[in-house]
Amino acid sequence: MYPPKFGYVIPDNIKEALEFLESHEDAKVLAGGHSLIPMLKLRLLRPSYLVEIRRLSDLSYIKLDGDTYKIGALTTHYDISKAKIPLLSETASKIGDPQVRNMGTIGGSISHADPAADYPAALIALDAQVKIISTKGERVVPISSFIKDIFTTDLNPGEIVSEIQFKNLKDYKFSYQKLERRAGDFAIVGVAVALKMSGDVIDDIRIGLTAVGNGPIRPTKAEEAIKGKRPTDDVLDQVGEIAMSYANPKADIRGSAEYKKKMVKVLTKRAILTAIQR
Amino acid sequence: MKVFEPDQKVKIRLKINGKLYETEVEPRRLLVHVLRDLGFTGVHIGCDTSNCGACTVIMNGRSVKSCTVLAVEADGADILTVEGLASDGKLHPIQEAFWDKHALQCGYCTPGMIMEAYWLLKENPNPTEEEIREGISGNLCRCTGYQNIIEAIKEAAEKMRQGQ
Repeated sequence: MYPPKFGYVIPDNIKEALEFLESHEDAKVLAGGHSLIPMLKLRLLRPSYLVEIRRLSDLSYIKLDGDTYKIGALTTHYDISKAKIPLLSETASKIGDPQVRNMGTIGGSISHADPAADYPAALIALDAQVKIISTKGERVVPISSFIKDIFTTDLNPGEIVSEIQFKNLKDYKFSYQKLERRAGDFAIVGVAVALKMSGDVIDDIRIGLTAVGNGPIRPTKAEEAIKGKRPTDDVLDQVGEIAMSYANPKADIRGSAEYKKKMVKVLTKRAILTAIQR
Repeated sequence: MKVFEPDQKVKIRLKINGKLYETEVEPRRLLVHVLRDLGFTGVHIGCDTSNCGACTVIMNGRSVKSCTVLAVEADGADILTVEGLASDGKLHPIQEAFWDKHALQCGYCTPGMIMEAYWLLKENPNPTEEEIREGISGNLCRCTGYQNIIEAIKEAAEKMRQGQ
């Protein structure tokens, strides 16, 4: 399969890339290309130009600035999976397969906004912020408002994601549970959990759901239902039920809506128990 | 900044298995096609949708699916294909182990499988069976049921650790 014809731009720096994007609204940014190139092959997109930013190394970094993680948009899933970042590294390690993780980038993944992508579950649980740049300057938006709908983000023409930021959840235990049909597939349901224990009581918890709505979901009422409590079977059942009530999945080749909803309950409980046991 | 129009040919240089190649490509040309046109037909096109891994090569030290990389993106890259593994007429330990353990039937997935195993063992010279299974999860084999492939990678790992 050949992609359609497009022009190709190799900027020397980010400024040049942004200027070109500003003046060419139908150009697309090429980062790792592992969502974009398959879409081009299927002719779902016909951009005038691809602007290659993958090799602009100043957008590939992982920094711990005080207690805030700052991750450059062009950091690959592989690099993130090896960086021992609470919750996010484990989530990155479950994306696609090794070859995909070697090329795919976090900025590319969230800009593509596939509703079944893995990162958004972790990022919404981490209260991540997305830094967006353009020739006009920069702005920062929370992940919950960055991903607006299926394959739809808050990015305006001429804007690109430059960085993801979130607090280091240093004393938290965490788990990302992904239900998939086969290795390397998109999630049927994905649940990310980070929690902090004090004795045998859950002091704080953050839950993120993916693949069960138009974007990631933070079931805050489920979090409230377990905070300050011991994770007994009854409490876990209740948390799972509430998380399930937030899910609004669509039936597709990966399962019926009813099945996916029930799996939210199962995986939420599993993620909490796995995190506690770590 | 370089700007190439859709029909404009882009001159690219690739170092493939240690030798430098120069060629001209349209921006939309995929790396897998360029490699095959240059004679590296061990790089297979299987699914052409980033799923099967038959087109796996090592690019700048990391395994990639060359059907999902544009040739222009690979300009200046160092690429290793299955043709570059044997040296002085002697098969690479991974190739030998695939032979010894009968880790192939039709052989279509084999070059990609071997290249991914090559990268896996560079990353992790002593993988558990679980890690091998995860490591080759991006490579599909329709014949073997994977069992002998896993045995072969185990054997190769052991031989490579012993420096044979």
